[in-house]
Amino acid sequence: MRVSQLAGMLAAGVLAFSVLAGGLRAQTAVDSPPVSADYSAAQQYNLANAYARSGKPALAVLAYERARLLAPTDPDLRWNLHRVRESAGLPDGTGSWLEQYGRFANPNIMYWIGIVGLALGGCCLLALARRAPFRGALAVGAVVGCAAISASMFNAAATFPVLSEYIALRQASASVSPVAGADTLFTIPAAATVRRLDRHGDFELIRDSRGHEGWVASSDLAAVIPESSRQ
Amino acid sequence: MKSYGQNAWFAIVGLVLIAELAFAAPAGTALQSIEPSTIALGGSAQLTITSIGSEMPAITPPMVPGLEFLAVGQSQQVQIINGVTSARTTVTYQVIAQQAGVFSIPSALPGAEPVVLTVTGGAGSAPNAQVPGGFSQGSQAQPSSSLPAGSARQGASGAAFVRLRLSKHELYVGEMVPVDIQVGARDGMVASLNGPPTLNGDAFTLSKLPENPSRTEEIVDGKPFIVFTWHTALVAVKPGTLSLTMDTPLTVRVRAPGRPDGGFFSGSGFEDLFNDPAFQNFFGASTQRDVTVSSNPETFTVLPLPTEGRPADFGGAVGKFAVSSDISQDKAGEGDPITLRMRVSGEGDFQRVSSPMLQDADGWKAYTPTANFKPEDEIGYRGEKVFEQPLVSLQAGTRTVPEVHFSWFDPATRRYEQAHTEPLTVAITPAPGGAGALAGSPPASTGAASTTADSEAPAWRPDRPDDGGGRISTLLPHYFQPAYMAVPPLVLVALSTAWLWMRRAQRPGEVTRLEPFMRPSVDALASEMDEYATAGNVQSFFGVARTALCKVLASKWGVALPAVTTDEVVSKLGSDGEITRVFMLADEAAYSNLKMTPLEFRQWKRIVLRHVGDGTPS
Repeated sequence: MRVSQLAGMLAAGVLAFSVLAGGLRAQTAVDSPPVSADYSAAQQYNLANAYARSGKPALAVLAYERARLLAPTDPDLRWNLHRVRESAGLPDGTGSWLEQYGRFANPNIMYWIGIVGLALGGCCLLALARRAPFRGALAVGAVVGCAAISASMFNAAATFPVLSEYIALRQASASVSPVAGADTLFTIPAAATVRRLDRHGDFELIRDSRGHEGWVASSDLAAVIPESSRQ
Repeated sequence: MKSYGQNAWFAIVGLVLIAELAFAAPAGTALQSIEPSTIALGGSAQLTITSIGSEMPAITPPMVPGLEFLAVGQSQQVQIINGVTSARTTVTYQVIAQQAGVFSIPSALPGAEPVVLTVTGGAGSAPNAQVPGGFSQGSQAQPSSSLPAGSARQGASGAAFVRLRLSKHELYVGEMVPVDIQVGARDGMVASLNGPPTLNGDAFTLSKLPENPSRTEEIVDGKPFIVFTWHTALVAVKPGTLSLTMDTPLTVRVRAPGRPDGGFFSGSGFEDLFNDPAFQNFFGASTQRDVTVSSNPETFTVLPLPTEGRPADFGGAVGKFAVSSDISQDKAGEGDPITLRMRVSGEGDFQRVSSPMLQDADGWKAYTPTANFKPEDEIGYRGEKVFEQPLVSLQAGTRTVPEVHFSWFDPATRRYEQAHTEPLTVAITPAPGGAGALAGSPPASTGAASTTADSEAPAWRPDRPDDGGGRISTLLPHYFQPAYMAVPPLVLVALSTAWLWMRRAQRPGEVTRLEPFMRPSVDALASEMDEYATAGNVQSFFGVARTALCKVLASKWGVALPAVTTDEVVSKLGSDGEITRVFMLADEAAYSNLKMTPLEFRQWKRIVLRHVGDGTPS
């Protein structure tokens, strides 16, 4: 396989990822007034601990999940989140294999690693095509760049489901349709993590960990990534 | 004489009316029932009216404001045995509640008992569900209240009354007093209660009224009443001599205008007959009217709490309380949270019972306590309030949890009381590696049941120091932010531009600089060519000349050296150029015995050196 073909495949992959991410983001964009806030892993972790102390498992899980977004491998955070869920009688919610292993680093750091890898790999491939000297070092640089891009894309794919992750603030009823007084299908316990599939008015179509789907009032849910952050 | 005549006339009329009533009523029995007897607002119940007798009566749906009756079905069974006709007619109505309240559904047939339907506000109760504790027709009388009966004030022409039953009329600000609010409704004269009793004035607060009052039957002034009783509690919020009344909205049936109201029958025994609900219902002589019935004013003396002897930690609790404490575990690791509990039990307004628990205890990190009230009666007058405070020991060893104080005002003794818990001892084991240095791990007080598990499961991880650095304004990862999503395509565009530029630079005809390592040494070439010229070796002379020109041309065209062939030179430089002729002579000399004079050697040497020397052969 020629170097130029490798470079072409690399470029096509990155472009496809950009288009995919853009399209998915447009799909999950929601309308809500912007709210300024600052987030850090330590701040969210301490906030979650405070909620756990005051007997608010739903808010604790929400803050732990937000902290986990910034520090996904923090063992203390994962342990306390496990304890809160355990005390609330909820499963750990490890998610799919991709989510379990793909969230291995702060996504913002992984984003920049991917950008640097793209630049490094691209330059090395160009130099190799130009028959520049030090071809061994250039080949190593190209491989490192491709690895960085792959790791970044893996992390992005694993982080993507968080966009639709919601926490039940209280025990809520999931109904058959997005209207008040509709028949209840099942209930989701407080602090449970659900995925939002759609929205209609003041109701969200959700899927719980068992795969059950139903409409829940928006006021009963809180997004892991606040809607103000999505503007 | 006149009075005898009048009484005789009344007796005759009465006998005629009674006979008419007796003949008008179908022979047999009538039944009326409703299921369920308690529904939520918006729900429905089923009213069944059954008539058993020799005739099939015409049954018309009842008319009750706030209720809608929809005919569901009607069935009839007729049996003729030995010439005697027996008919059983059943009519079913769906009763839909349009407002909350307690409704008395009058009998649709003479002889049937009225039934009562309770419509709750709807919050928290399922439609058509039988509410526990709800009452229904025929329910037994509730145990009578221990509170002294208050005076009843009948309203709406004696159809209803409201009264309060209280244990005392002198109380302190903040003191909670149990009270029974009773609403009596004359059977058949009150169509519905349109809401719970409400308090007049702002000097008292009333605890939440139960949704389902108890129901008893009582004879008041010789007339039967259905008495609804709400057990609740009253709290005075300001001092002084205060008056209290309660209002209750209800709908009563009153006689239609034009009906004799006394008049001709005034003072006679028939007045009661005309006022009888059954009589009025039978003749359809009543109309319905919404009225508000008030209780007699109850006067209270509300005393302010004394300032003398008031403890510094008094938080406003008034009543009679006892205090105890315990701790979740007597052994813990350094940095592990333990839960200190203080239990305040007794009688009073528990909303006013509060405590900061431990504050600034030496060697302990104390967190904000939580409180949980467990009532022992339906009004929350008696119960136990449990305060839970997470504590983390900052030192290892045998530690003592300090005592906690609690103060309240006792209206019975008319003085402030103060109690404290006993100091508790806890063994704190050192954490390996000083893990407890960062105190602040969350306790297991997310649920009281999990406290026991704490002693078995590993501890919670502690808080982190947060210096405020590294904060971001949005949690949305860069991958999904538009500004950042544009960066990868931009990098790709830059790389693609570089790639295209490189491809363009490789096109032939472009002037490229001769790389230094490709430039042949002119002096060495001249010396070598002189050597071959002296020897008359034409083949080697043009061989070195051709090699030197190949390097120059390869460098210029950016191609490999073997790519510079005679054909390539002819195609690019033409067949008449000096360089072309050098390449052609070199080929000729290689395959023939070409001879040259010394002059020709010098001439070709000068040509070759000129093209090689400046590096830009034409």
